[in-house]
Amino acid sequence: MTCDHLRRLFALFLMFCGAGTAFLVQGSRDFEKKAMMLLKEKPQNLKCFTGGMNEFTCFWEEDEERAGSLDQYTFTYVYRNGNNQTCPLTTMPVEGAKLLFICHLNRPQMFVEMDIKVHREGRLIHNRSLFIELVFLLDPPTNVTVSHTGQQGQLNVTWVPPPLKYRDDSMMFEVIYAPADSHLGQVEVARASSLMILRDLQYSTKYKVQVRVKLDGIVFNGYWSAWSEPVFIETLPAEIDPLIVSLTVIISFILLVLVLVSLLSHYRFLLKKVWPIIPTPDGKFKGLFTVYGGDFQEWLGNTSGGLWLTPAFIYSEECPSPLEVLSELSICPSLPPKASEVSTTTTNKDKDTKTGLGESETTSQEHWLLDRLRAFQQDPQPCSQSSMLESQDTYVTLSGKRQSEDDHVEDTLEETLPLEVLFASRKTAMCESHSDLGSVQQSSGSGQLSSQSSFEYTNNVWTPSAPGYTYMAVADSGVSMDYSPMSRVDDIPKGVIYANDYKNEIPAHRRPLLLRQYRIHDDR
Amino acid sequence: MLRKTGKGLFALLLIVLEWTCPGLLSPVRPICDPRVLKHFIQEAQDAEVAMRSCREGCGLSQTVSVPQTTVNYDDWEKKDGLEKAQEVQTGLWLLQQALDLLGPSVTNTALNNHIDNTVRNLVSINAVLHSLNFQEYTPPTNVTSLDGTWRVSSATELLQVHVNFLRGKVGLLLSGAPACQHNVS
Repeated sequence: MTCDHLRRLFALFLMFCGAGTAFLVQGSRDFEKKAMMLLKEKPQNLKCFTGGMNEFTCFWEEDEERAGSLDQYTFTYVYRNGNNQTCPLTTMPVEGAKLLFICHLNRPQMFVEMDIKVHREGRLIHNRSLFIELVFLLDPPTNVTVSHTGQQGQLNVTWVPPPLKYRDDSMMFEVIYAPADSHLGQVEVARASSLMILRDLQYSTKYKVQVRVKLDGIVFNGYWSAWSEPVFIETLPAEIDPLIVSLTVIISFILLVLVLVSLLSHYRFLLKKVWPIIPTPDGKFKGLFTVYGGDFQEWLGNTSGGLWLTPAFIYSEECPSPLEVLSELSICPSLPPKASEVSTTTTNKDKDTKTGLGESETTSQEHWLLDRLRAFQQDPQPCSQSSMLESQDTYVTLSGKRQSEDDHVEDTLEETLPLEVLFASRKTAMCESHSDLGSVQQSSGSGQLSSQSSFEYTNNVWTPSAPGYTYMAVADSGVSMDYSPMSRVDDIPKGVIYANDYKNEIPAHRRPLLLRQYRIHDDR
Repeated sequence: MLRKTGKGLFALLLIVLEWTCPGLLSPVRPICDPRVLKHFIQEAQDAEVAMRSCREGCGLSQTVSVPQTTVNYDDWEKKDGLEKAQEVQTGLWLLQQALDLLGPSVTNTALNNHIDNTVRNLVSINAVLHSLNFQEYTPPTNVTSLDGTWRVSSATELLQVHVNFLRGKVGLLLSGAPACQHNVS
């Protein structure tokens, strides 16, 4: 029986010892944490703080090598209007080969000034005056809880403040929160409260939240406590507001309807732009495809009247030749200068238009032709070759395609031949003088020439100014000529001569009297 | 006619009674807001800082008795409410007496304003204590010789004691007032 009691007592003793040791160890760890914090902040060598109403601690740090034994140091303090008191010292080794000397008081006096002095072997090493209620260093808040508020980007943080009776309204808290992978955090302050709502947080992000506490400095004051243990939580993902979704759908539907309505109202216009109609000649050639199956010649043969006159190039089998107008050449000596007549006309009439000028030119030209005809009839002598070069008429060159050099030589030769050679077969039938009027249509070897104007030419030959071109002297005499290809094949080395009806557009009253009309036939 | 006259006289009587006896008909609301005391403490601290910078014309003509400001928390918790209230009211009375002696000694106008403000605040604190249903207490005339008092000889010490007294005993009394505890619960 006695042994059992002794065993039970021994077991209880061990338990209490263990609990006490654990408490002391925990207290020691807490003190060490606070001590390390103060050693970083306070510049004074003597560090003092109070964790509550019934405790007060002061300490200082020395190197282990320089530190002496405890009995060398004396820690004394005195309150205002009080007596000197001594505080027993303890030591604690810390990292870095340092030693802490610690003074701990259990029943401190507050709201009164306290003077502290530390001596080592009679020599004052530390001296400090303070109010104990102004050096609070509380434990960090506990039970920090972070939860969702139900709203996007928000978190609700709650905590339990350190126990300090009647001083809950004097505490202020700092909450730091940041994404877990970020080093920069945001800080919010709460006064006399144990609750805070964090706003404007990122969606679907893991956050780290910590809290610390400090007295507000009105009645009590002190240092910021250590940060509480971090709490991690992930914010809610972004939710799509159903109102926004519905509004978006409605607006999109309305826009779609508007686009469709606009497209349908401009359907024809858009269809023309996107899918243009390929033009067909059906409308211009009535019955060509429907009746004659596209046979143009048959359609031509069977259609009569009512047809619009097609331009000449549609019927012509040859490409139009570019027409180059050479500069005017001076006329034969017997001829009045055309330029002087023109200039005279111009000077006489200051405001003549081009039409008037042209009319004067036409009139003078007609007079000149008549004179020439009379002159030739009276004295049919050819003008000198050189005078051929001097003609007041405008020479029109009909240039077909540039021929090869071989053709060029032949063309040149052909041009230089006297006209008697060219029209040898028709000498008698054609003309009495070489100055007879006639129209010749010449074609180049390539058959690209067509001339639709009557022209006058003499029996003289002139040298073409540029090779490769077919030259023809032309003067519009107002004569209506009906001409056809002029000679046999052997007379004309090459070329195709076409028959074309030509009707001069000069009004009838302006036409000079014609002496003769000649028809040139093509005996081919 | 008589009824109308009677009603008028009755109304007049009520008006007169309300005017002559304002405190009888309506109870005083307890002042539990901690910001009230914080305001008084801050003004007391401002006066102390202003007095520290004074070099001339700001001294006490004689030593005065002031309340002790030392608070041992365990000992304070052991005292009952009546003892706490009497201790606080005694201290406020001593401070008021000391400031009344300091006023004529200060020639600086700004400091005089601080002192006048401090005196008014002491009256206000008494009114706050009255609102918290603390029984009104007038200390005996020989209180200056009793324990629990100090003697000071400078205006700076006097105002420092004033600050510490408000922060300590007055603050503990107000924060622990039963009337405020009932309001919280």
